[in-house]
Amino acid sequence: TSEFHNLQELRHSASLETKVFIQRDYTEGTVCRFQTKFPSELDNRIERTLLEETVKTLNSYYVEAEKIGGQSYLEGCLACATAYIIFLCMETRYEKVLRKISGYIQEQNEKIYAPRGLLLTDPIERGMRVLEISIFEDQGSGTSSPSSSSMSSTGSAR
Amino acid sequence: MPGFSSGGVGGGVGGPASTPPRPFRPSRYTSSYGNNTVCHHFVVPSFFILSRCPWLSEYFSSVIPIYNAVIFLFTLANFCMATFMDPGVFPRAEEDEDKEDDFRAPLHKTVEIKGIQVRMKWCSTCRFYRPPRCSHCSVCDNCVEDFDHHCPWVNNCIGRRNYRYFFLFLLSLTTHIMDVFGFGLVYVLHHRQQLDTPHAAVTMAVMCVAGLFFIPVAGLTGFHIVLVARGRTTNEQVTGKFRGGVNPFTNGCLRNITHVLCSSQAPRYMGRWRRPLSVEVQPPFLRPPLTEAQLEAKVLDNGIQNDQHSTRSKSSLDQMESQSADAEPPPPPKPELHYPSLPRADTEESSLLTEAPPTPSMYKYRPAFNSPGRNHPAFTTPNKVHVNLHLQRWPWRPWWACWGGVKGHVRLLPDWALLHLLPIPSGGSHSSSMRSAHTAHNPLATLHSEGTTDTSYKSLANQTPRNGSLSYDSLLTPSESPEFESVVSPSTPLQGYTSPFLSAQIAQQREGQLLQGSATFSSPHRAYLHAVSPPPPSSCGPLETHLLQHNQDSSSRAPRNPFTSHSSPGAQIFCCLCSFVVLFEIELTPFLLCPPLPNGYPIRSTSRPVLANHTTSKPGGGVKKVTGVGGTTYEISV
Repeated sequence: TSEFHNLQELRHSASLETKVFIQRDYTEGTVCRFQTKFPSELDNRIERTLLEETVKTLNSYYVEAEKIGGQSYLEGCLACATAYIIFLCMETRYEKVLRKISGYIQEQNEKIYAPRGLLLTDPIERGMRVLEISIFEDQGSGTSSPSSSSMSSTGSAR
Repeated sequence: MPGFSSGGVGGGVGGPASTPPRPFRPSRYTSSYGNNTVCHHFVVPSFFILSRCPWLSEYFSSVIPIYNAVIFLFTLANFCMATFMDPGVFPRAEEDEDKEDDFRAPLHKTVEIKGIQVRMKWCSTCRFYRPPRCSHCSVCDNCVEDFDHHCPWVNNCIGRRNYRYFFLFLLSLTTHIMDVFGFGLVYVLHHRQQLDTPHAAVTMAVMCVAGLFFIPVAGLTGFHIVLVARGRTTNEQVTGKFRGGVNPFTNGCLRNITHVLCSSQAPRYMGRWRRPLSVEVQPPFLRPPLTEAQLEAKVLDNGIQNDQHSTRSKSSLDQMESQSADAEPPPPPKPELHYPSLPRADTEESSLLTEAPPTPSMYKYRPAFNSPGRNHPAFTTPNKVHVNLHLQRWPWRPWWACWGGVKGHVRLLPDWALLHLLPIPSGGSHSSSMRSAHTAHNPLATLHSEGTTDTSYKSLANQTPRNGSLSYDSLLTPSESPEFESVVSPSTPLQGYTSPFLSAQIAQQREGQLLQGSATFSSPHRAYLHAVSPPPPSSCGPLETHLLQHNQDSSSRAPRNPFTSHSSPGAQIFCCLCSFVVLFEIELTPFLLCPPLPNGYPIRSTSRPVLANHTTSKPGGGVKKVTGVGGTTYEISV
């Protein structure tokens, strides 16, 4: 009898297992801030310090975006003076920072999270209410996901 | 359109005798829906302002017409921004986010903001806990960030993103009216001997109209100046959220003002272009080394995961319940578990439901948000997962999609007052019931207090008159009205809607129909339907009948509404212009005349000046105090 291996079993694959949501931290009002509390689902997936670092950086970006200072004031005055037509051509301060955040999240995903089977989703896509972290599971390591079980069953049925 | 035409004429009445006098057209100064001369109200004033005030420019200075033009344009620009800008609509939450907040989650989540407990309520339409200061607008059917109010005259909500423009619009309009009146007065005083000329007569008429509209406009402007200084929204002021207590959202007067006027334009959440994120998630995955504590926990746990869902503010009972359930993947929720009317009296659910005020929530079922969920092909391809979040447009709701939800647009003046004050929390009848069927210590208090608050909302819904006119009652429960209209009779195909007023039998029937008829319902949503079970049958009979009758009336009257979503965008632009025309007298006067009474007393037209006073309720007049969880006190004036 020859051993028959399912090629798909040999190739490791990943599937989305679950999502973790880091909620907003409202202790200082409605300014955009995310909780730095470490969700327990990620206990064995990523080091605490890495995630906390990411969240803290994101929070600092949001503080910068919402800062009320000279630039935002001038922007407002210019917009008033041009009857808000300037909004068609100019990017507001907030939008600029959001672009930076988007770039930062992509970089973090590539360097830190994807190698660990995680994926960050930009909070702006969820209305800045939650920071969504998708957890992927390695199907080759055997989980309860249906596709892996069906594959392993076909493999073991030989 | 009084304001602008008066501005134009006020600036233009100084014309020399050589210019032919413009015929006096009363229609210019009357406001009525579908006024065909509305288009003139933009052209004529600008023409007057820009080219027909030679007298004033000769007599005083040539800056005057320029100043008038600038003010006029500023007012117009702010009005347009307030009308057409997304107020800060939250996109609907995706299914996966809702998974944690399943049917056993409490209706409220409490957060502490600067030491003050603030409750976040679950929005059943949008499927998330509403952030603080967010409210669901039933007209637009969206949750809006920093919700101020829904303005029926621009048919748009005023929220975080466009409040500044609304506020500036009020300020500039007040200034504009004052200018018109002032310059008109100057002209009349200088032509005292020629008061019989048409110019002078027109000027005097315009001054009268301007003076008349100045009162409500200035009143509303003053009201909003106070709100801005205090750091409150209209919604919070009108519902008396911080009447006795401290407002956690204020940072001091100066900072509040700078926050409104000087902060950067907030981003919109809807209709965003996502740039393609292409990240490969390929095993093998790195794993962090386990700490000693984790190893020990693993050994003790014997592999059973802790209950992860108890990290948020859930009751201890929830924890107990969910721990056992979390040992395995959560099974599809069984409908019978959450049906108190069925003979399973041992459950906490049924006992609590019979004890607590029978106010199950009324919600609108929404099909699952069209998102790449678990079964998305991108995620389950048996290859390395190439998560390609390709260029994808968010569900974009154009501004005209929000229109048409205004019911009773052609109504009597007092009713419009009520519509203007739609910021009354739309979820009034939601909050009384638990999302889950069972509750525990803290949520029970919530339920009880919410019951008293929202029993009033529920009773309002019962009193909704059947003749189709919108009283304050129905407007206090605006979230119910669209739902009323969506249900015609039990025999029609279901749209996934369950009324709390139906008896258990009919609800069971519906459930059966739901299970058959709708393949798109996913199990969590079904559980959600069942979790919000109807009240005990004894209290349902008359309500149910009334509801069905009202539904039929509502559905029959819906097509007659000229401003439903079936109207074309062109007509709606026209309506926008009309609303601009009638902005002052309609929006502002009713606001003054008709104070909000959130206890559901129907508002009839009164002449009570309420602008300055409606924030303070007379304690002697009967104030019902309701204390919620965490000490938030709501005072409802009777």
